[in-house]
Amino acid sequence: MPSPPRPGDPVPDLTLPDLDGHVTSLRDLAGRPVLVSFLRHAG
Amino acid sequence: MKVRDRYDRWAAAGASACFVVFDDPALVRRTMLRGLDDLPFPVLVDRDRESYARWGLARAPWWKIWLDPNVYKVYGRLLRAGERLSVGGVDVLQLGGDFIVGPDLRITYSRPQQRDDRPPAGELLHHAREAGHDHD
Repeated sequence: MPSPPRPGDPVPDLTLPDLDGHVTSLRDLAGRPVLVSFLRHAG
Repeated sequence: MKVRDRYDRWAAAGASACFVVFDDPALVRRTMLRGLDDLPFPVLVDRDRESYARWGLARAPWWKIWLDPNVYKVYGRLLRAGERLSVGGVDVLQLGGDFIVGPDLRITYSRPQQRDDRPPAGELLHHAREAGHDHD
């Protein structure tokens, strides 16, 4: 497993379906700062 | 988790947000997104956790989680909500993380979880504003 990205690193790919199944890419949100928050389990 | 509150503060700072989950979407809607019908941000689903791995987010050693009293609070909430806890369901060992991506698609802030912890919202907002200013 790679190490988590550090400041200055290019963003790893993030392309996934949303809750409704529509595929979305982090690159679609480019142009302003984006918080990417990987959550733990639901609950 | 107050997802809507977090996002509203983000939007006011000129930033956007994107959340990633790995649980079943129906469970996510019933728990962390309960009452949020019109989401202003993408919630992406990584059932295979391939993106978690690509971003270097591992599973915690069992003792970092099971000796943490917060885990029992979460389980209590799930049980009170009528959820069944079973093998193959909720994985409490998977860790998450918070990252801020600048407008040029480079990481400006990185905080992978080591246990069940999250940075304060104010800290994230500060770094999001800085990422925006650095790009101006």
